[in-house]
Amino acid sequence: MTAAIDHSPHSPTSRPKNRTLGVVRLQFTNTQTFVWVPVLVLGGVWLITLTIYWIISASGVDGPMYSGGSQAPLWYFAVVGAQAMNLTFYFSQAMSLTRREFYLGSLLAAAMSAVGVSAVFVALGVIEQATGGYGMGGYFAYLPWVWEGGPLAAGIIYFVLTMLWFILGFWFAIVNKRFGALILTLSLIVIALVLLAGAARLSFEQAWGELWMWLADTQAIGLALWALGLTVIFAMGSYLTLRRLTT
Amino acid sequence: MNSVVEVRHLTKTYKTANALEDVSLSIEKDSIYGLLGRNGAGKTTLMSILTAQNFATSGDVEVFGEDPYENARVLSRMCFVRESQKYPDDSNAGHALANARLFFPHWDQDLAEELVDEFRLPLKTMTRKLSRGQQSAVGVIIGLASRAEITFFDEPYLGFDAVARQTFYDHLIADYAEHPRTIVLSSHLIDEVADLIENVIVIDRGRIIMDETTEEVRSRAVNVVGDADAINRLVAGREVIHRESLGRVASVTMLGQLSNADRELIADANLDLIPVSLQQLIVRSTQADDQPADDIEVRSLQS
Repeated sequence: MTAAIDHSPHSPTSRPKNRTLGVVRLQFTNTQTFVWVPVLVLGGVWLITLTIYWIISASGVDGPMYSGGSQAPLWYFAVVGAQAMNLTFYFSQAMSLTRREFYLGSLLAAAMSAVGVSAVFVALGVIEQATGGYGMGGYFAYLPWVWEGGPLAAGIIYFVLTMLWFILGFWFAIVNKRFGALILTLSLIVIALVLLAGAARLSFEQAWGELWMWLADTQAIGLALWALGLTVIFAMGSYLTLRRLTT
Repeated sequence: MNSVVEVRHLTKTYKTANALEDVSLSIEKDSIYGLLGRNGAGKTTLMSILTAQNFATSGDVEVFGEDPYENARVLSRMCFVRESQKYPDDSNAGHALANARLFFPHWDQDLAEELVDEFRLPLKTMTRKLSRGQQSAVGVIIGLASRAEITFFDEPYLGFDAVARQTFYDHLIADYAEHPRTIVLSSHLIDEVADLIENVIVIDRGRIIMDETTEEVRSRAVNVVGDADAINRLVAGREVIHRESLGRVASVTMLGQLSNADRELIADANLDLIPVSLQQLIVRSTQADDQPADDIEVRSLQS
C-alpha cells in the first residue's frame, strides 16, 4: 500500500500535546514581539528612570524616590497579547492547528515571557534593596507596598499583572477580529461607563474611604489574587470568543 | 473505493447571501479532484468548512469519519493552502517552513528544499516583502512538502508566471505518483489543470452542478475539426457549444455521442476527432442556467 497509509496510525494520542508546545515555538518565531521589544521597553524605562533619579539626587534632594514608570513593561503586554493573536492565528490555522491548541500554546508562551519579566523585576528589586536604591535612594522595581510579602510574593504580583495585560490585549484582538472594530469600540465604551458608574456610586455613598481601607487591608498580594481571578475570567472569555472565530 | 470526506446537505448562509446550498458530495481516497467554479461560487467556503476553519449553518461534514471541528486527530492529517495566506509580520519564509515541518507529520524536508531552489524563494526576506508570486510559493511548498493525506490548494498560484505554474503542476503529479494522497485543487485555469485532475466537481452559486470523473465529463461531447461544410452536415440538429473557424476549416464541439453513421461521415469527409476542452464544457454548464446578461462574463473561468 501507499506510504501515506504506512505511517498514518502514528500515535495520535501524543500529538495534541506536542502541537501545543509547537505553538509556543510558533509564537516565539515573533522574537521581536515576544522578546526584543519587551527587553527594550524594560531596559529603556529603567535607564530613563535611573537618569531622572540621578538628576534629582545630584540636585541635592534627599529621601527615597519611587516611579510609576516601571509599570510600562507590564502595560506593553497588552500589545504582546494583541500581536500574538493578530500575527499568528491565521498562520496557525494554515498549520492545521485547532483553536484550543493555538489558545493554550499562546497562553503558555505568554506565561514564559511573563516569568522572564517578573524575574528581572525581582532581581532588580533585590539589587535595589541591597544597594539602598543604587546608592541614591532611587527605586524602580522595589516598591515597599508590593514587596511587603517578600521577593516571591513580589514576583507573583508582577507575573499576575503581566498576564492580566496580556490576556486583555489577546481578548480585545479576538473581539476585533470576530465582531469588528465597531463592536470592540462599543464594548470598550460600555466597560468605561460601568467603571464610571461604580466610581459614581462610591462618591454618592461617600465610600471612597472604605475602598482605600479595603485596598490597604487586602495588601498587594491579596489584590494580585483578585487580579488572578480576573485573569482567569478573561482567559475563559477569550477562549469562548476564539472558539467560533473563522478565518 | 473508500471516501475520506463525506458532506451531506451542507448549507452556509451569510447575512446577505447563501454561500453553499444543500451541498452533498464525497471525496475518495488517493485521487486528484478539481474543484471548479466562478469567483464567489463557494469554493473557498467549502474548503474552509472541510478544514474546520469556517462553520456550516446546517448539514454534516465528516473527514476520516469524524467531525473535523477542533479535532487535532483529523486536522493533523489535512493541509489547506489558501489563495492569500497571512503570515506573522516579522517572520520570513524560512520560519514558515520550519514551523510547517513541526506540525505536519509526513513533512519531507528534502522536497521542501528542492522546491525552495526551483521557485527561487528567498528564505531570509520578511514574508510581507516577498512578491505576490513568492508568497504563493511559500504556500505551494508547504502544501506539497507536508504530504498531508488530504491537501487542499485554493487557487495556489496567484502571481505565478507560466514557468512557476508548470513547476507546481510537474511536482504535484510526480509526488502524487510516488505518494498517492487526496488532493483537491481549486482553479480558474481549467485547461491547465485538466490533465492533472481525475475528478471534476463544479460548483456554481453554492450548488454542486457537476460531480463526475474527468473521463465522464469529456465523453459528454465530441470535438471535430476539418472541412466546414462537412462539419455543418455532421452537427445539423445538435447542440454546438463551441465553434471556431479559419477559412474553410472549422473546429466544433458538440454535445452527445457519435453514432455509427456519424463515424462514417467523419471518415469519409476526412474530419479529425480531437480531445474536448474541459474548459468549454464547464463554461457552458455554468452558463446554462444563467441570465443572458451573465453569459458574456466568462473571463473568470478562462484565465
